[in-house]
Amino acid sequence: MSSERDVVIRAQHLAKAYKLYDSPKDWVKQVLFGSQEKPYYKSFWALKDVSFEVIRGKSLGIIGRNGCGKSTLLQIVCGMTRPTKGEIWVRGRVAPVLALGATFDLEATGRENVLIAGAVLGLKRAEIVGKFASIADFAGIGEFMEQPIKLYSIGMRMRLAFAICAHIDAEILIVDEALAVGDLAFQKKCVDWIDRFRRNGTLLFVSHSTTELARLCESALWIDNGRVRESGDVTDVIRAYRRATRLEKDSMSRFSAT
Amino acid sequence: MTNLDLDRPDPDVPRERDVPSPRTAPAVQDVPLLHIVDGKEIIPGNNSWSARLGRFLAEPFTSAWRNRDLIAAILRRELRERFSGSVAGWVWAIFAPLLMLVTYTLVFNGAVKLPNNAEASSPIDYALFVFGGLIAFNFFAEMAYRAPSLLHEYAHYLKQTMFPAHMLPVISTLRATTYASIGLVLMLLCQLVFSGSLHWTVLLLPLWYIPFLAFLLGLTWLLSAMGAFTRDTAYLMMTLTPVLMFATPVFFSHEQLGPDMMRLMYLNILTGFIEIIRDLVVFGRVPNLLVVAWTLFLSVFMFWFGYWFFRRQQDSITDVI
Repeated sequence: MSSERDVVIRAQHLAKAYKLYDSPKDWVKQVLFGSQEKPYYKSFWALKDVSFEVIRGKSLGIIGRNGCGKSTLLQIVCGMTRPTKGEIWVRGRVAPVLALGATFDLEATGRENVLIAGAVLGLKRAEIVGKFASIADFAGIGEFMEQPIKLYSIGMRMRLAFAICAHIDAEILIVDEALAVGDLAFQKKCVDWIDRFRRNGTLLFVSHSTTELARLCESALWIDNGRVRESGDVTDVIRAYRRATRLEKDSMSRFSAT
Repeated sequence: MTNLDLDRPDPDVPRERDVPSPRTAPAVQDVPLLHIVDGKEIIPGNNSWSARLGRFLAEPFTSAWRNRDLIAAILRRELRERFSGSVAGWVWAIFAPLLMLVTYTLVFNGAVKLPNNAEASSPIDYALFVFGGLIAFNFFAEMAYRAPSLLHEYAHYLKQTMFPAHMLPVISTLRATTYASIGLVLMLLCQLVFSGSLHWTVLLLPLWYIPFLAFLLGLTWLLSAMGAFTRDTAYLMMTLTPVLMFATPVFFSHEQLGPDMMRLMYLNILTGFIEIIRDLVVFGRVPNLLVVAWTLFLSVFMFWFGYWFFRRQQDSITDVI
């Protein structure tokens, strides 16, 4: 166990409930006279109990089936949404390469989106402007930088989004299963970059591709139905995950609210 | 390296927290830190009642300052889109209020009595009297119409990034401020051109503008949070705002009404704002201090109430949008 000061992400018993309202009327009732004890909404527990720690410079892979709570977990780590219960503690700037390109303003040009995204991720204007040429170069989309994002292909959006995340000097990089969109050359560029980043940075990597996971991560976390099912060395977790996937049927009951 | 235990009880069951308090790593000031326990953000430092209140009151300002680059980036883009998306750009923003001002001047030309029975000192006084009310009301109406759908409009930002959602109302209010300011400047220019001088009281205009912005910002926080959950907010404002125009002394003066009615009119905060801007620009006198105090009280209350409401709902907002 490393010393306490090297921990960059600590999650303890994280749980997240989404509030599901049957109708807007129930929301009004909840705001006016609702309480935690007698709510007018149904709770859907996307995450039930997840604990883990990541040490600086290590990489953690996260696997699990659709709807198991992976995305919710990443969103909590990024600070996009708050956990309902449990503790999350994250130190350092986070670069979320999540569902790449979904955050862009479609009407704005690539350049404007770089400026806005950089500011959202905590960069000063001067810093972003200074890095602009390098971002454009990494993205490699040429003249399209001055065009509205709506004219971009999914691949081009992804390129731009990754280029931004690669330039914000983050301590923690969070990569969702987005890399698959790029062509092989760009995928290689990204993986090379991630490899270089891993020398000092911390990586959270989510993928359904167990080979990629095994290549990029030392340890892994298998989340099943909002709980940690298996964790530890990446090869052990992947082996257990593969074995279970062969045995278990694809049932949709896990999406139901309680 | 992970560390976990699987035999924890369901989170649904409330239990005593057994999570140790953050064993303080050496405080590195410039490293952003996210620390949330049970849905509450943990802020290091004093947590007494007064410190928390102080922090809450300062929060709108500190938060805006921290996000100033982001606010500027989005604002710049929006204004650019607004003004370079059309051929004539800025001309439209100036032409519309100018046309209105000219029309009023022509229509009310020569009116010697203003609606509040004061003597007109120049031919443009009547137009300015109405125009002052319109600036305030139109600014209010723009925010009232737009706020309920504001967060839906910016859903793409809220969805995935660590976007400070509570800054969107700030951005949208600042954007509307540009149009209102154009109107205000035109109003002052017209007065200067037609009567050759301005009253010294126009120097007090910032003291009118800042509380007005605070009120509108609070209103936008409140309405946008409500609008995120239910479309009814938008319909409600679309129904209420035109009615409110008649309960606001834009084309008439509340001073003409009986004393009871007049006091009732002050319940509408816009009455106070309109009276003050008329006093400052058209009549050149110091406004009634009681009206000023009342208006100030309402705006300050609205500002922090709106902010409090938005922050309370913010986490659910990002989940429903």
